[in-house]
Amino acid sequence: MRRSEMLSRMLVIAGVLIVLLVPLAVRFYDGQGIVEIHGRMAETGGWSPSAIKAQVGVPLHLRLTSDDVMHGFAIGQSEMAAVDVPPGKMTELTLTFDKPGTYTYYCTRWCGLNHWRMRGTIEVTSDGLGAPQPVSPPLYVTLNLDIDAPHPAPVTPLERPSALRGAAFTALLPPSYLTTDYYRSYSPAQAFNDLRSDPALKSLNNAQLWDIVAFIWQSNTTPEGLAAGKQLFAQNCAACHGENGAGNGVFADKLAAAGEKSSEDMTGAKGMQMKKPVNFTDPANMLGASPALLLGKTIRGGMGTGMPMWGSIFTDEKTWNIIAYLYSFHFTEVTK
Amino acid sequence: MSRKQWFLIIFAGLAGAVIAFAPLPVRVTPPAQRTLRVEANQFAYSPAVLAVNPGDTVTIELVSTDVVHGLYVDGYGVSVTADPGQTTRLTFTADRSGSFRFRCNVTCGALHTFMIGKIQVGSNILLWRALGLTILASLVAIILFPRPAKAQAA
Repeated sequence: MRRSEMLSRMLVIAGVLIVLLVPLAVRFYDGQGIVEIHGRMAETGGWSPSAIKAQVGVPLHLRLTSDDVMHGFAIGQSEMAAVDVPPGKMTELTLTFDKPGTYTYYCTRWCGLNHWRMRGTIEVTSDGLGAPQPVSPPLYVTLNLDIDAPHPAPVTPLERPSALRGAAFTALLPPSYLTTDYYRSYSPAQAFNDLRSDPALKSLNNAQLWDIVAFIWQSNTTPEGLAAGKQLFAQNCAACHGENGAGNGVFADKLAAAGEKSSEDMTGAKGMQMKKPVNFTDPANMLGASPALLLGKTIRGGMGTGMPMWGSIFTDEKTWNIIAYLYSFHFTEVTK
Repeated sequence: MSRKQWFLIIFAGLAGAVIAFAPLPVRVTPPAQRTLRVEANQFAYSPAVLAVNPGDTVTIELVSTDVVHGLYVDGYGVSVTADPGQTTRLTFTADRSGSFRFRCNVTCGALHTFMIGKIQVGSNILLWRALGLTILASLVAIILFPRPAKAQAA
């Protein structure tokens, strides 16, 4: 064989090899360390994968896409802004965790009745120090509240209490009623009864006492907190509980219908089934609930009733803001 | 072409101009504020046909009952999206009359592209004019070009 022919043959072979090897190498190196997550409606599988692992301090690269409708992605218990995950697009996201633990990621755009079931976990580990921090039990546990028991309000106001009118009686009010602990541990109806039996407030009539209750509730929140609670309610609660809290959201009828169809539990009881969402505008129900009780219901969820468990999603601050907003269906706020 | 045919063509041209451009005695309704609630689910709007008068200020309240949907009005180029539980409002002035499609502009599943509705602003005069012109043109064609004699067998 001539030398020039040899050279040209080798050139051709080298060219073929490059064409084959370069895409392979790119594919191999490009996919390193990137987790691709597909979102589907919970009925058809939710997130896949739904459990991923990460290291403290090591950036986690995510590539998110949806296989059906618009979804969203956020990490629970964090201030991370939610990103939208539309179908047909790749949403790239890089997360870095500075504490070990199990993080929940969840869908942030309503994608059907079972939207809230669309969750997954990120197991974040660290080498050596930095064990998971112990968490203190939530208030409803320390108060030993039964959060599934009915909580009718023994007394309800005849007219809508006003915090503004209540503020006029601050001079008479013992300061112990204005503490955060008091507000969180007692329902408005209990607070009313406490005030009624308080000798310092003997001269006031019932409507005035309800105004003071409204003032106590008002003084434990801020306009910013209420606004944040209102927004969280609209995004996370209104689809079932209704935009005005009346329990008539767009999914309310579907939940009730699903409840009739859902089967009995293992003991044959019908108690644990999908239910119509609670009406927050009903004073007989809401004014008998303390913030601690509502906190328990919110963070633990409804255990089969269709109410999601929000404990792994909302920070305590967010939950308290939502709860403060729920009471604003009954009390007129102080307007400045 | 015979004189008669020329006469017909001129007559048809005049009639066509009348059909296309003659001002119709349209009832003019004073513009009003209109709020229309539209529920969106996979894969339809309810109601799917909206009717308003020209000049109305239209507010469409979009309520989604399952997943995130949108509403885009063709011809007006305005759009809005709604999550379940978060009703959104789209306000625009219906200053162009005719019939316009509105469609979902957030991918909402397999049949997303078929999620279409219609907003009718006034009566659809353009449609009637087009219909009239078509009938006129076909009449003229039938008269002008009579059926050719049967082709001779080869």
